[in-house]
Amino acid sequence: MAIKNDRNEKRNDKRKKKEKRMLPMKPCRFCMDDLPIDYKDQAFLSRFVTERGKITPRRITGTCAWHQRQLSKAIKRARAIALLPFAREYYR
Amino acid sequence: MRAYECIYILNPSLDEQAVKDKAVKYSEIITSRQGQVTSVDQWGKRRLAYPIEKIFEGFYTFIRFSGDNEILKELDRVFRFDETVLRHSLVVEERPKPAEAPKSPAEGK
Repeated sequence: MAIKNDRNEKRNDKRKKKEKRMLPMKPCRFCMDDLPIDYKDQAFLSRFVTERGKITPRRITGTCAWHQRQLSKAIKRARAIALLPFAREYYR
Repeated sequence: MRAYECIYILNPSLDEQAVKDKAVKYSEIITSRQGQVTSVDQWGKRRLAYPIEKIFEGFYTFIRFSGDNEILKELDRVFRFDETVLRHSLVVEERPKPAEAPKSPAEGK
């Protein structure tokens, strides 16, 4: 963790020079609460999908890489069995 | 022996009894090949997220079982030939490991 903080500080310094604001790091909610990722849980997965049915990028949801991989797999499985749409456009 | 999860979607025009019969039929395929059916779950009629063959609804059935991969081959074959099955999926069951699951993401960094 020490190394990570160091890195963040350096990054912050660089950003300050460019006068850009660093977004606060969101904690991964799967890591925080130890949530299970289940491809059968449609209501839960739909929170990680845009209105169009695309998978939300992790820079927006704040999910860590490890869980994002599992999430995307779960979403793709859910799509295969028609729990989630491939594209919402279909019936509009 | 391995634990698997199976979900299939049946045509909504079938009646409740036919759906139950199908579940029994598929369970028998598993048990006749030295497999064990852990649970059979009828999710009932659900709206599909997108139309399959111009059908908007379907009966979902979820079966948990364990056995050899011979069963998978046979189930897959049977599902493909059955025209009332709109979709099916056979997936290895992911067992939650409370001791390992939360650790590994943190260690990976």
